[in-house]
Amino acid sequence: MKKEPATFLLSAAATILITGSIIIAHDLSGGFKQYLVDLTGHHWTSVSIIAVVLFMLISLLILSSEKLAILLKANDLKIWTRGLAAATLLAILGTFMVYIYTTLR
Amino acid sequence: MAQIYVSWIGHAFIAIIGLILMTYTLATGAMLKGRIRSKQANIFPLHKKAAIYYGTFILGTFLYGLLIEIKHEEPVLTSIHGRLGILLLLIVFFQIIPSLAAKDRTRIRKLHKILGYALAPLMFMEVSWGLYNGLISGSKNLVLIHSMSGGLTALALVWIILEILYPTKEGIVRTKIASYSAAFLVVVGSWIIGGYNYLTNYGSQVKPIILSGPKPWAHSIVMEVKEHIFIFLPIIIIALSMTLVIIDQDSVLKDPNVRRAIAITATLAFLMILLMFLMGAIVSNAGNVGLEV
Repeated sequence: MKKEPATFLLSAAATILITGSIIIAHDLSGGFKQYLVDLTGHHWTSVSIIAVVLFMLISLLILSSEKLAILLKANDLKIWTRGLAAATLLAILGTFMVYIYTTLR
Repeated sequence: MAQIYVSWIGHAFIAIIGLILMTYTLATGAMLKGRIRSKQANIFPLHKKAAIYYGTFILGTFLYGLLIEIKHEEPVLTSIHGRLGILLLLIVFFQIIPSLAAKDRTRIRKLHKILGYALAPLMFMEVSWGLYNGLISGSKNLVLIHSMSGGLTALALVWIILEILYPTKEGIVRTKIASYSAAFLVVVGSWIIGGYNYLTNYGSQVKPIILSGPKPWAHSIVMEVKEHIFIFLPIIIIALSMTLVIIDQDSVLKDPNVRRAIAITATLAFLMILLMFLMGAIVSNAGNVGLEV
């Protein structure tokens, strides 16, 4: 298992993008929100657990596959620091916009 | 309503000034001893000046707080906020007066260092406590723990940023300790305890008040966004912590790109904490306003 320096930053960026998409989708779709409620009893708890599981799975996947690590440039800290900042900013803005939209709707 | 607004704005303003002065004093102290590398030759006058400003500020805010309590005919210095204030004041004076008076400071150096670093968590506790007293009249312990954890996590992140800006071999070890502390605080204090409070107290007690008050958007937009984007914060801090685990010490010391990556990630997490504080303040303010209606 080769530990590339940007593995966890890459994994965090991917987790935040996917979790951000789940947050946006569950606010726009009542059915999906109900599915998340059914999973743990509260949609927020489900999203939190999904984020943790995603982070662990993506990290393990990159750590265990050298090909994937090379393909995703998991050794490049510069790219993935920027990637993480961009993913976080995008997910925050997307979440803000969707809640403003659903409140004003 | 205006009074509540002034109350938390005042606390926030004082908190920010106090934290800046404390960080500057601690940083110049660490530079003086070589724990943080600095290009400036004579740091002592800066550290002395910063400590005097910080001490005067602590004395001023303490006296102001005392005056307010007397004015409101409240029992003086019985609250934890007040007692922590006395403790801070005593430590600050014990730091400044002997250092200025003593001809040979070598004997008090060790104690000066321990007390100096003890000031940081105490100051964050005091600031968080004061801010939440201003926001919600200090009745919600879980919110307080949640907020204090956020404050201490921010402190750990500032510590990481400072160590990385002025790297030393020992500094890298301290950076790792700071990152583990930040990860622990954000997961346990902010995520688990904050989440428990959100799932139990907030939904049943605070949310209905905000929604029926004059600022329902504080829940439907600000709180909804806050509760969801918060989830990104522990992920970022854990990623930072794990990155520091797998990166070898030499590459941190020698490669500016590695240091830049760590500093940017810590800054990203720090800015997110500031955003969380701001959003939390808006939600608490809306709850207070809702109660008055």
